[in-house]
Amino acid sequence: MERDKLIFCYVMVAPALILTVGLGIYPMLASMVMSFQLYDLLQINAVGTPFVGFENYIAVFQDPRFVQTIVNTVLFTIIAVVVSIAMGLFLSQVINANFKGRAVLRTLVFVPWFVPPVVASAIWMWLLQTERSPINHALQSMGLIDTDIRFLTDPSTFGPFSIPMMAVAAVRVWNGLPVIIIFLLAGLQSIPKGLYEAAEIDGASIMQKFWFVTLPMLRPVMSVLLALLVMNGLGQFEINYIMTRGGPQNLTNIMAVYSYQQAFMFFRFDYAAAASGVILLMTSVVCIFYVRAQSKDTLR
Amino acid sequence: MDKMLKLDRARSDLMRSVARGSLVAITSAGVTLSSIAPALAQDNSIEFWTQSYGDALQWNATIRDLAAEFEAETGISVQHETINWSVAFDTWLTVSRGGAAPDCADMYWLHSFSAIGGDQYGPMPINEYRDQWENLDENFFEGSLQDVTWQGDFYGIPWRGDIRSFIYRTDAFAEAGIEGPPETWDEIVDIATELTERDENGNVTRWGYAYGTATNSVSWLLPYYWQAGGDFMTEDGRTATIDNEAMRTALTFMRDLMWEHEVVDPDSMEANYDPQPGFLAGDIAMINSAEQSWGVELDRDYPQLEGQWAMSLTPEGPENRDSFSGGGYLGVLRGTDKVEQCVEWMEFLSQEDNMATLSRVSGNVSTRRDVMDSEFWNDRPWKVVVGEALEYARTSQHPAPAWSAIAAPEPGAVLYDMMYDAVVRQQDLDEVISRAQERMQAELDRSNVQ
Repeated sequence: MERDKLIFCYVMVAPALILTVGLGIYPMLASMVMSFQLYDLLQINAVGTPFVGFENYIAVFQDPRFVQTIVNTVLFTIIAVVVSIAMGLFLSQVINANFKGRAVLRTLVFVPWFVPPVVASAIWMWLLQTERSPINHALQSMGLIDTDIRFLTDPSTFGPFSIPMMAVAAVRVWNGLPVIIIFLLAGLQSIPKGLYEAAEIDGASIMQKFWFVTLPMLRPVMSVLLALLVMNGLGQFEINYIMTRGGPQNLTNIMAVYSYQQAFMFFRFDYAAAASGVILLMTSVVCIFYVRAQSKDTLR
Repeated sequence: MDKMLKLDRARSDLMRSVARGSLVAITSAGVTLSSIAPALAQDNSIEFWTQSYGDALQWNATIRDLAAEFEAETGISVQHETINWSVAFDTWLTVSRGGAAPDCADMYWLHSFSAIGGDQYGPMPINEYRDQWENLDENFFEGSLQDVTWQGDFYGIPWRGDIRSFIYRTDAFAEAGIEGPPETWDEIVDIATELTERDENGNVTRWGYAYGTATNSVSWLLPYYWQAGGDFMTEDGRTATIDNEAMRTALTFMRDLMWEHEVVDPDSMEANYDPQPGFLAGDIAMINSAEQSWGVELDRDYPQLEGQWAMSLTPEGPENRDSFSGGGYLGVLRGTDKVEQCVEWMEFLSQEDNMATLSRVSGNVSTRRDVMDSEFWNDRPWKVVVGEALEYARTSQHPAPAWSAIAAPEPGAVLYDMMYDAVVRQQDLDEVISRAQERMQAELDRSNVQ
């Protein structure tokens, strides 16, 4: 009986396992191997793919553009995670409340979810195009600005930040917010109402209820969310690539875009694999922290 | 208890049968596929991929009609698949490294893909079939045949050209009382300055000039550099030759247009720059290096602009009037066992009538002289200009596998970085060019490793 059950379980899990191994684990391992080889498509027929140790890693770290992409990737991730969670917390509270028109608001908030990132990028590229931007027109009509804001092309910086970086980060937040709200909404709805009633009896204000009841009760959801957002943020690709190709002046370039450019523009699959290896390392660190935290929670 | 046992047994039977069922399904699928595969290999059909051109539906219908006609003549059926341009480069790169490939296809960047594929994958030389095309040299433009020859091998039939001319808004010219398009670089500066307009806050309402129509910004540099008398590399493709006065002249001209004369949008080299909406709205007065497909598009999609735009030859530089030309060819892929069927199909497509159809539907210049002499390519003034521009067309292909990496329109590529640093960032020209020369040489050396 137990054996049958085991076989049944394996058969049921097999398709997902095969897909994960075939499309996830194998390419990842192959890419890691490639990162230690000379894998230049323009030389491959002449010299093959000899083992070169850490040379590719050294080469990408010697490229100032790559170092800047690491900084950019971390900054983008921090901006996207912090803003998304802050907005998500606020909007999920609003949506969770009982008021007239809640269904309409919910629909509006979830609309960006139906827009694939590629389409979202194209739409926002148009909205943020300097001379034809309706946002610029609106701001000028209101008398708030005189000259057009170069949302995606202004190369001036303030510290490590720039307008294009903020604009692209805003699009990433816009596109990813609905999922965060769904997570948080589910978390909010699982908080027993009795806790709020008890807090009210104790005379807690709205902020105190949020701080001492909502946030602690959302902690498990938030930790999952945080881990997912950080991992997703470190591996982001399409919005940055489509909207700016990493420009202007590398200000919005991120590691995944760098990796893609090395492989598919310059035929350096070895450098691309090394850059991907760095992304893998960074996401692994987050993953380890997350798994350890989960394990501790389970043991508790 | 009995009931529990029965239930357990039933569940156990169910699990077993599901497991067996799955195994049977997987095995039978494998058996079916393995029995179908040889049958497919033996059939008389070929797989043919093309990029999409012009109106995608019309393009597919045209290939379908041609394939039906071909099948009626020869009994060979053609399975056509379209590749979107946005993934075309990645697709051919994958094909050149052993990815799923068709038997024959519409391809480009021969030098890079054949070098990457080596003698295993990618484009296949078909020297032994070359004689099947009678009067190849007389019927086709010389430049287009260069694009299908690599290291002395013949790889296929050129079928489309991408010829760049000069496009301008005649209404803006008339409004400013300017009689004709610029003929020289100096005239570009004068006219662009006159046509650039700003509002009271200094926001530009009309740019006098744009470098080019293509999204590939590096392609804008090529004609300026050629017109200044430069060559990117030696004929053998081994030595970079960009650190010279011609490059300084070309980049200075481009930089001055942007910053000294302020007639070009400083965002021109950014990824989200697209001159088409601006030109259509009359917010850009002239564009150098305009693809001929713009003529087709403007005729087809914007009839209301009739009489408000025109094309002319690209203005002459200090040394000559060379203009950009790209192209594509029909070729066979390594790994196919249907070379003869593919060659027959290519022969069929390269007949005058069929080439005329492909040219008309795709909006691309034909590589056949007789097609370019036909009524279709002479019934509109802009088409006549495109025909004349063929005389000045210079192939953008260069005899080095690394060329597509060198000229990639992305940050990090040699020419893009050089243009960006020189034109947009206004860095010291000598340093920028010297750095680019060194990087380009390294790229050429990389692709010439024996």
